[in-house]
Amino acid sequence: MRITGWSGGLAVAGLLLAGCGGGPGGGGKISDGGVVLAVLNDQSGIYADTSGRLTIEAVRMAVEDYRARYGDKAVAQKIDVVAADHQNKPEIANSKAQELYDREHADVILDVPTSSAALAVATVARNKKKVFIDVGAASTELEGKSCNKYTFHYGYNSYMLAHGTGSEVTKDGGTSWYIVYPDYAFGQDMERTFSAAIKAAGGAVVESDPTPFPNDNFSTFLLKAPGLDPKPQVLGTMHAGGDLVNLVKQYNEYKLRDKGVQLALGLLALSDIHSLGPDALAGTRYTTMWTWSMDDQTRAWADKFQARNGKRPTSNMAANYSAALQYLEAVQRAGTDNSDKVVEQLEGHTFEDMFVRNGTIRAQDHLLLHDAYLSQVKPSSEVKEPWDYEKVIRTIPAAEAFQPQPDPACKL
Amino acid sequence: MLQQAFNGLVGGSFYALLALGLAVIFGMLGVVNLAHGAFYMLGAFGAFIALDAFGLNFWVSLALVPLLLGVAGAVLERLFVRRLAPLDPLYNFLFTFGLALILQDLVRREYGVNSQPYPRPRELAGTVDLGLFTYPAYQVFVLAVSAVMCAVVWVVLTRTRVGVIVRAATERPELTRALGIDVGRWVTPVFGFGVALAAFAGVLAAPMRAVNPLMGADLIITVFAVVVIGGLGSVFGSVAAGFAIGLVSALGNLYVPALSQILVFILMAAVLLWRPAGLFGREEAFR
Amino acid sequence: MLRVDGLSAWYGEAQALREVSMRVDEGEIVTLVGRNGAGKTTLLRCLMGLHGAYGRTAGTISLFDEDITGLAPHARARGGLGYVPDDRGIYATLSVEENLTLAPVRKAGGAAGPEPWSLERVYETFPHLKERRRSPGTTLSGGEQQMLVLARVLRTGARLLLCDEPTEGLSPLFVQRIGEILREVRAAGTTVLLVEQNVHFAATVADRHYLLAEGRIVESLDRDQVREREHQLLEYLGI
Repeated sequence: MRITGWSGGLAVAGLLLAGCGGGPGGGGKISDGGVVLAVLNDQSGIYADTSGRLTIEAVRMAVEDYRARYGDKAVAQKIDVVAADHQNKPEIANSKAQELYDREHADVILDVPTSSAALAVATVARNKKKVFIDVGAASTELEGKSCNKYTFHYGYNSYMLAHGTGSEVTKDGGTSWYIVYPDYAFGQDMERTFSAAIKAAGGAVVESDPTPFPNDNFSTFLLKAPGLDPKPQVLGTMHAGGDLVNLVKQYNEYKLRDKGVQLALGLLALSDIHSLGPDALAGTRYTTMWTWSMDDQTRAWADKFQARNGKRPTSNMAANYSAALQYLEAVQRAGTDNSDKVVEQLEGHTFEDMFVRNGTIRAQDHLLLHDAYLSQVKPSSEVKEPWDYEKVIRTIPAAEAFQPQPDPACKL
Repeated sequence: MLQQAFNGLVGGSFYALLALGLAVIFGMLGVVNLAHGAFYMLGAFGAFIALDAFGLNFWVSLALVPLLLGVAGAVLERLFVRRLAPLDPLYNFLFTFGLALILQDLVRREYGVNSQPYPRPRELAGTVDLGLFTYPAYQVFVLAVSAVMCAVVWVVLTRTRVGVIVRAATERPELTRALGIDVGRWVTPVFGFGVALAAFAGVLAAPMRAVNPLMGADLIITVFAVVVIGGLGSVFGSVAAGFAIGLVSALGNLYVPALSQILVFILMAAVLLWRPAGLFGREEAFR
Repeated sequence: MLRVDGLSAWYGEAQALREVSMRVDEGEIVTLVGRNGAGKTTLLRCLMGLHGAYGRTAGTISLFDEDITGLAPHARARGGLGYVPDDRGIYATLSVEENLTLAPVRKAGGAAGPEPWSLERVYETFPHLKERRRSPGTTLSGGEQQMLVLARVLRTGARLLLCDEPTEGLSPLFVQRIGEILREVRAAGTTVLLVEQNVHFAATVADRHYLLAEGRIVESLDRDQVREREHQLLEYLGI
């Protein structure tokens, strides 16, 4: 049973006060008897492995680390983690978000992959005046025309992925590109950013083709690639998941690497490398927000994660850990879980943690700016341990990694 | 251009194999097997599991996995499909649809949604010089083996006693029984065979396509369009339409990429308007 | 040879046959006459075991004193029944020869039946079928199709033919030819149960007649009675 309403809340607050002898700021500033972190994501569909249930575990780890750090001095003494499955559908995301805020008394919703679902939750957050930190979705609309006071975008976005790969690979000498992208909103958006980044870095896009989605036969495009005039040095693709695996398998079938066409990707998940085998992708460059094998700090956390869950964490799980931790830190600084007060603490906040380097939450559009990484897939000869497939070849500084200016369409 | 056409035929191989199994099953049992895509997926996963857990290579899988899944299909026909067959066709429709979802989710539960690794067989890693152009050996193999498979089925259907019985039972199951043929005895192996064909296509797909629980569901929608274009229950029609659709989508990708997603369905609508029973179908098929 | 006792059949709730009892003796040609919808075709389908998909049945059917009520159609065919359906039942996807050879030849077991027709004999009797043996069955003319269907059951060595209006829509020449064949096979020991609207044809070939109305057998007539009452019967049948 949950105690609701003003008097109930007061009663619980009284109990808490009596129980902990009064923390800093006072437990009385915490609504509904505790802080509730809600993870709303895909627990059965295509993102269930990159996001899914283990993301909830990552958030629980953040709660434990917060408790360990503040102990009795923690503003949030009682913290619950709840979760719901949105099945990547905006209408389900919408109703689940309302349920989480109203019935579960969630103070913040985390993760929410799939852009359409994330945009739906952003609207609910604005109406309910509750905090929403999106991690899983890529759309820049979250910090663009759909931005609002209570919504934050944390970790990565389509600009970071496309701009990072496009400009960095071009700077490395891959100046002529052939781009294939899945024919839906995300792919089209990525294609625009990709092309713009390539041109800005002095490269040229020889041709760019939309492909059906989903698609299991990319041979038409792969056959065409080496015959284009001028011959492209880089095949850039925006595909993800099963489509990406199909494309890469067939890229290798047609031996495009031997024909001098390199592969560069917007988005590459650790699990994709695992399913293709590192040799199928060896040398492929892509942009990432985080890799578990990046440095000692990330490794330490990844070891802890593995000990607990039997798997290496994805970057999405690490980002959710960080988002949950930073939310709790903001509650700690504000001394309350009141949304407006927490938002005040988050805006413009500069910090570092296991996941974030050189991080700032930009006050104008609530986008987290932090370092991103141009990474490369190792050949199997360099793979030393399971899931150790990636190496960072360059850090893209926070100031360059994301949109340099807030979108003027965003009015908080 | 020639190379692209060849490409289309390789893609069409999968459509043809899957459509062939669907057509045989539909013809003989009057059942639209909505679980067909799931069997294709299980074929690919079968190959993956055989390699991962038992160390069996591609060639063993290509023979073994369709055999095992074919037997599983036959058991399924005995236990469920047969019992539902005398009822409204909707029951088997729902049964096979539900089965597809269950199989997909079971695989997803076990292996997750991400693609599983499966290497190309070593023997077929290179390229083949086809005179006018060189081509990945594995893809040439896929095309050749599918064509041979379709040809074998064709010969069996047209030249053997079994084929005569299957064709007769497909056209008039009741009369065929009245002529002294135990049609029921043939239904089970035919269903199993259709399932085995789907599994065979799945094993073939494993080295060149993403092996994940949704691979069948994504593909089967196009295969249904292929079967409709070829004519429901028409064996020749579904094979011909399979290869033709492969060709059309490859060339469609090349010349009208904007339409590539829906080209097959535009074609299907056009064929249905022009010949409601499909290109090679007979109106009787709808009785 | 064939005994039917209290046979009833339904299509859903509608009763099509009401306690039909009849018999056919070895070597006879017996016809069932009646108006459209009287239940003639349903009766033949029940005898063949084909009614089950449409509705329930009651009563018993026995062949050579053996109860075949629960047998599947293919088992009845093997027991000696040869079925000629009302729409002829030529397979479009089978060639003429495949149509002919589809049904398995009955192995003469126990009681001696008529000699099954060999393929040679069929082609001798119907030379046209031989000429067209590679063409799809449905490309034959209506009369030739009927010959093909008759030849098909004769080839199996069936002991009792169940023929559903074999003369329907045929030219007088072919009707005459069918009469000849039926008499010929009877002479060779085959028994025939014939559904017929053509009373005149029925009277020329059959030994006995059952008149069926609204699912009941209302009269049983011998050949002479039919000749005397042909006009009355025609009037009754509405022809």
